[in-house]
Amino acid sequence: MAQPKISVGLGLGLYEPTLSGFDENIDVPFPTGTMLNRNFLLNWAVYYEFFSNARLGYNSYSSFEAGKLDLINSKAVYRRTIIYRMFPLETYFRWKPRVELNFTLTPIWGRGRISVDTTPGDKSEDWNQLINSFGVSDPVSDLGATDAMINDWIGFSGMIGIRYYLSTRIGLDMKMGFMDNSYKNDKWRLQKKEVTGPIMKIDELPLLSFKVFYGFK
Amino acid sequence: MKQFISIILLFVFLFGQESMADRPNPCEDPLLNLAEKKGIKAIPIKDIPRFRKLMKACENDGGEKVIEKIVYKDWQRDYKKAKTMASFTPTFSVLVFLVMIYYFIGLGIATK
Repeated sequence: MAQPKISVGLGLGLYEPTLSGFDENIDVPFPTGTMLNRNFLLNWAVYYEFFSNARLGYNSYSSFEAGKLDLINSKAVYRRTIIYRMFPLETYFRWKPRVELNFTLTPIWGRGRISVDTTPGDKSEDWNQLINSFGVSDPVSDLGATDAMINDWIGFSGMIGIRYYLSTRIGLDMKMGFMDNSYKNDKWRLQKKEVTGPIMKIDELPLLSFKVFYGFK
Repeated sequence: MKQFISIILLFVFLFGQESMADRPNPCEDPLLNLAEKKGIKAIPIKDIPRFRKLMKACENDGGEKVIEKIVYKDWQRDYKKAKTMASFTPTFSVLVFLVMIYYFIGLGIATK
């Protein structure tokens, strides 16, 4: 028994996408872009060491944004997530007893999700009709509903990293690399209908990540 | 009710103490033997808190050398196993390195 067979990591990613579909949108003012909702990615990962110098795993980078949109009929709550799901193959070696160098190639299954709370016209009437049948008169008004538009794409990523082991189980991992996503803005889906979504430049992106790893077994 | 709970707690405290004379040497615990022979990561997850307590108890009983040896052997075990690459891993690492170079050169040319 040597290296941790199963390890989990939690950390942050840093990248710089160009989300012009949101930032340069004249018709709908989206929440202001900040480093937190544009450049930072929440990152978690789980790896299984299947060979003395190689691991397979799942690695997820997520970007979140939430706020209110000033639409014609309502001030709708809006949420946007972009998740880069990776299935990395990582090889590594120990340069020194506490220092490891690692090399990662991975396919990406990316998913964008935009959800908005809307107030459809007939919703309150339909619910009131149902509730009225139980003996109460028109108890609800302005009922909202949440729908989401979704887009999936594929991509790939390559990274080189260095890991410093604080103990034989805990390590600090820093990776540098890139990711390339084949995102197309006309491939979004809203309730099974194809719609056009925001323009986002997320191909050929340099990527940095910092993680804390804990080896279980 | 408060008095009743206080009496129960008092009894739990009084009779919950282990006799120091009967306690075995923590440095000879099978869990520490397992850690020494097969490594710290061979210890089942559920036994990790007990293992940590045993390490402290062993150190307090004058077994610093035993603990140092366990930790040192664990580092060496990890290092020896992963210090050289084997099988497909060196080829894969070179491939990743070349892909990175190709990408960053491409990025540099594209931004000129």
